[in-house]
Amino acid sequence: MLTAARPRKMWGVTDQPSANLYIPMPAVIEDIVDETPDTKTFRLRFEDVDYAKSFSFEPGQFVEVTVFGAGEAPIGFASSPLEKSFIELTIVDRGKVTGAMHKCKVGDRLGIRGPMGNCWPLEEIKGMNVVVVSGGCGLAPLRPAILQILANRKDYGEFWLLYGARTPADRDFKYDLEKWAERDDIHLLQTVDVADADWNQNVGVVTTLFSSAKMDPKNSVALTCGPPIMIKFVTIELLRMGFSEDRIVTSLERYMKCGVGKCGHCCINHVYICTEGPVFTYREMQALPELQS
Amino acid sequence: MTVSDTYILKKSNATVFFAGLAREMRLIAPKKCFGGDVMFDLVESPEDIVWDYGHDIYPPKRFLLPHQEDMFRYSDRGKLEIRDLKDAPRQAIIGIRSCDVKAIRFQEKFFGGQIVDPYYSERAENTVLFNLVCNKPPKKECFCICCDAGPYLDSGFDVQMTDLGDRFLYEIGSEKGRKASETGLHMLEPVESKDIAERKRIELQADSLFETTAYFAKAMTFISWDDVPDRIWEELGSTCFRCAACTNLCPVCTCYTVDDRPEADGSFVRCRSWDSCQYSGFTREASAHNPRPTFGSRVQRRFYHKVSYQYVSRDGTHGCVGCGRCVSACLTKLDVPSVLKRIRRSMHEYLPDEQVTEVKP
Repeated sequence: MLTAARPRKMWGVTDQPSANLYIPMPAVIEDIVDETPDTKTFRLRFEDVDYAKSFSFEPGQFVEVTVFGAGEAPIGFASSPLEKSFIELTIVDRGKVTGAMHKCKVGDRLGIRGPMGNCWPLEEIKGMNVVVVSGGCGLAPLRPAILQILANRKDYGEFWLLYGARTPADRDFKYDLEKWAERDDIHLLQTVDVADADWNQNVGVVTTLFSSAKMDPKNSVALTCGPPIMIKFVTIELLRMGFSEDRIVTSLERYMKCGVGKCGHCCINHVYICTEGPVFTYREMQALPELQS
Repeated sequence: MTVSDTYILKKSNATVFFAGLAREMRLIAPKKCFGGDVMFDLVESPEDIVWDYGHDIYPPKRFLLPHQEDMFRYSDRGKLEIRDLKDAPRQAIIGIRSCDVKAIRFQEKFFGGQIVDPYYSERAENTVLFNLVCNKPPKKECFCICCDAGPYLDSGFDVQMTDLGDRFLYEIGSEKGRKASETGLHMLEPVESKDIAERKRIELQADSLFETTAYFAKAMTFISWDDVPDRIWEELGSTCFRCAACTNLCPVCTCYTVDDRPEADGSFVRCRSWDSCQYSGFTREASAHNPRPTFGSRVQRRFYHKVSYQYVSRDGTHGCVGCGRCVSACLTKLDVPSVLKRIRRSMHEYLPDEQVTEVKP
């Protein structure tokens, strides 16, 4: 039975440079890419060269980002784990910390604590067909997984990427999507809620893509991330297609403060999302009554 | 209780005894504060210790997990400077009640484990607890006897003291307690069999005096398997004022929030302060999505954490020590015994006398 994978490194357990796990490691913004009107991707490099060399993470993990003077927020990795010289974080301008982050410029300093949380079971699903379903900024936590799968493409079966966004302009990683659309070993289907004049692909919610996706639920695994309402209907659709409960893998998100299982904010029933999540199979989620409503 | 670890400390010697300890660490004990209330506070002189106090509504957990705690100071002007503000003074909490000792042990386990919270763990490491057993329940709201948290502790105490009139029975329960007793070792006298007999009599008598009961057994099965009807939670939640007195006064609760506080010199202090799962903002995400949108869902959350089997198997004990503070504090009877009683009745019609006092759905 498939379960979410345990990472090799986890902040506070196997990886923590100073004695105090609440103190972040400084990192400098090297580059900022505008993804959508309210989303930017920040490329960061740790100031401590030795720490930068030893730093590694696995797809699905996240970090706590400190904007000095504003506070701390949990953000998922968006870059490839194979990329050793920098990390990328894709951030929507929503709250106090992310708002302050959007005001940052290249050369500014941030604090990073991580990697935290568990990861997508990419080793365990080798040989299987992979279906990635994501909505809006939910593509960001899946991007490391997609990049790692594409880097080891022959280890996996068919690869489907289903992506939904509000408008064509609200799609993250348009430069990646263009590249992926040209590859013939990726089935990329995109949809938007509201199309513009240039849009020639599907219009509607992401579940409308399933009718045109000729995927075989046997020997397949689905990785999903997106808004809660999307997750709910995608899961219903996947179950209807015949995906088994342990082959539907989701990354959950919760309000978080500490990232090390102490502050109590991210708890769903008795499970702390920051240390035991954020990646869960649908079967694991069913043991949590708070998620059922 | 092994007799070799049990001594007698004469009350006439207690002041000198703890004055010796005060030379090694700061003392925290119940003392008469402004206005005449007895509360836990730093005591300058052991003479200020009030030995015959009842119960402090403000739990002594604040000496290990302060209401607001500065974590580290940073300034980012050209060069990033981070200074750890971790502060773990050696301290003894004297006269703490058994329920609060049990709660602190619970918190120590929670903040320790695989991932160690350095602030709490170091403070707990430097703290010695001298619990004073309640010869009778200090208030009618107490129900530690339902929670394996008192009035006597079988284990987990550093030093357990029983008031035997003109003298204390002084039981040492840990290496830390033994070390803290060394300064006054010559004042610890051998125990006599009549003292042991008196302790047993007090224990039996105290056990018989509890008025409040909490129906943990049934509530635990119902809450753990999500068998409590949603309408019961909503009915309970409908009376909540969201004041969070229940969680702030709970000696077991640990949740905190983190803020960056600007300082006059341009630096910032990252500080953490108590937070409560009873606030609607506790789980509200930046997208405005709130996984616990209703009062009922938040009350359910609190009780799931306190009594569910899943947490018991995780923490080794349930998250209530029966101190009765939520009973004293909650204006709308969302305290542990009342809610558990409501859950016990949730599958049945009310008994005739209950219909008068409780809200019918």
